[in-house]
Amino acid sequence: MDALLTKTKIAELEKTPAPAKLKITGSESLLESLIAEGTDLIFGYPGGAIMPVYDALYHYTDRLTHILVRHEQGAIHAAQGFARVTGKAGVVFATSGPGATNLVTGLADALIDSTPLVCITGQVFAHLLGTDAFQETDVVNTTIPVTKWNIQVTEAKDIAEAVAKAFYIANSGRPGPVLVDITKNAQNEMIEPVKHKRCENIRTYKPKPVIQQSQVSAAAALINGAKKPYILAGQGVLLADATEELKSFSEKTGIPVASTLLGLGAFPSDHPNYVGYLGMHGNYGPNLNTNQCDVLIAVGMRFDDRVTGNVSKYAKQAKIIHIDIDKAEINKIIKADIAVHADAKEALGALTEQCNANKHASWIESFTQLNAIEYEKVVEKEFNATGILNMAEVINCLSNLTNGESIVVTDVGQHQMTTSRYYKYKSPRTNVTSGGAGTMGFALPAAMGAKLGIPEKQVVAVIGDGGYQMTVQELGTIMQYKIPVKIIVLNNSFLGMVRQWQQLFHEKRYSCTEMQNPDFIKLAEAYSIPARKVEDREHLQGALQEMLAATTPYFLEVVVGKEDCVFPMVPAGAGVSDVLLEPPTN
Amino acid sequence: MKQDFTLEIHSDNNFSVLNRIVNILNRRRVRIKKLIAYEDATDFRRGVAVVLLFTTADMIEKVKHQLEKLIEVEHAVYYEGSSEYCELSSKHSAQVV
Repeated sequence: MDALLTKTKIAELEKTPAPAKLKITGSESLLESLIAEGTDLIFGYPGGAIMPVYDALYHYTDRLTHILVRHEQGAIHAAQGFARVTGKAGVVFATSGPGATNLVTGLADALIDSTPLVCITGQVFAHLLGTDAFQETDVVNTTIPVTKWNIQVTEAKDIAEAVAKAFYIANSGRPGPVLVDITKNAQNEMIEPVKHKRCENIRTYKPKPVIQQSQVSAAAALINGAKKPYILAGQGVLLADATEELKSFSEKTGIPVASTLLGLGAFPSDHPNYVGYLGMHGNYGPNLNTNQCDVLIAVGMRFDDRVTGNVSKYAKQAKIIHIDIDKAEINKIIKADIAVHADAKEALGALTEQCNANKHASWIESFTQLNAIEYEKVVEKEFNATGILNMAEVINCLSNLTNGESIVVTDVGQHQMTTSRYYKYKSPRTNVTSGGAGTMGFALPAAMGAKLGIPEKQVVAVIGDGGYQMTVQELGTIMQYKIPVKIIVLNNSFLGMVRQWQQLFHEKRYSCTEMQNPDFIKLAEAYSIPARKVEDREHLQGALQEMLAATTPYFLEVVVGKEDCVFPMVPAGAGVSDVLLEPPTN
Repeated sequence: MKQDFTLEIHSDNNFSVLNRIVNILNRRRVRIKKLIAYEDATDFRRGVAVVLLFTTADMIEKVKHQLEKLIEVEHAVYYEGSSEYCELSSKHSAQVV
């Protein structure tokens, strides 16, 4: 009888809703805010000053997945990979002092490449600020130049609002990284629960400019009168989700499109109006014809020096139309004749309406002819090489096997330029690389983040042997969470791009660029990752097929020529039309 | 050609705003000749920084846009020469006294 009474009482109690918590900690407020902002994945590394947050996280594992990386730099690059493929802000946790300073490279990378991130760092107790306490670093001042915005929060009641502002700023306008530094007392402090309110406006911040019709009309008039118009598409097209608008604009006006490094994927590489990739190692036609066009239409790109070469020799004959959401980019490097300060989607839509239907067949043909010269002098030789393998044939084979449809994450150097040249990207947000900052060590963790962001897509990291060893510890993360990324290391036992410059411009003085590498296969196997090494052409395709078919992470080392160079090349200080197709003879 | 410019920056009065402003000038290696910064007399949440700079017309225009990118900055305006700076400086000094 007593037992029955107890059972009845328990059943009644189960029907009664649990009383709302009277108070929550600042840490719980943080996690609730992150969830309210749509976060379900965090990359991080715990430590003393962020322990209250991690303690709270213990009770949120049903709603928040935390990936324990092996170094904070791995966390932030993983968050970048996640953000680049999903378009959502990547979230990072790190502790104070070295934990926070280890984020600096990733923040700088994300800022220059317009990647939305929200980084949460723990900080010492507020009463210890400025006292040189253990693991105290002035993170806010340290990260001012490498964040879009940052803030220090010292009271729990301010956490929710700071997080809301952080997401709004990170995602809006030209996206970028944001850092919220929270003192330990604020993480511990008990407060009344507050309902998270998303930020929709900041008095001093105007992320989306109002498009000026006069600017659009002036640009349209110039385009309609042009004989050799030319579109340079940058990452702004992808960030504005304007790939369809770009396609419609190009198709209606008949204008050829070239892509910057970060703009790859913004326009299908198999489209008849696509003429290639721009820049220091870009295609011959796009670089040479920059100095032949009469109207140059730059969309969501910032005229990086790797695109322009010597600016005094850049498109001097052309009228420049520059479309950008960031007003500070307009006239920063190249003076615009017509500036359209607007979101790329809106601007391209408006321009398509106002521009006349046209065709520029002979102009597009001139790109084809120039690219044919490049094919004969560079590409054909690389694809039909004998002897030791080269990077170009590996990437070409990968591109063919995946039909240009995988997410390809590259590091920095020769393999990156080769991938940009030979992987035939067809879709938006499939090219993930460190563009502006050129961060070696980016690719391995960024590929983890990309795979976790879009698990159904094949994600392939292409890395050099130098960059691979900068963040190789993240193999531990890949092992622990069984993240099925595919890793290709193109091993030339050199810091290849630096060596190339030493060969071409420093009379082959190979100063500190040759590497003695570990046994990469044993290293991968130590992390329980299946691994294979290819040293000859005969086994390349089979090895790539095996890698792509694997349902687990997979490591493939391909030994390539030690002293191969990437061509074409615009030498430093030269103009874009001074592009070299082979090493200079003298 | 380099010359004096008075740059007036209206912003929120948050911690670190002044650092952000100075960082941008430092990064561009723009010479700061004089600087005053103060809270808005009627609203402490807002503030103004006035900087006397020695730079080119091209650079001041670029710097203005980079400053306006800062989240806390409402707007920036500049004037050729130092007379605006002297006027604002003396006006503000008089208020403090």
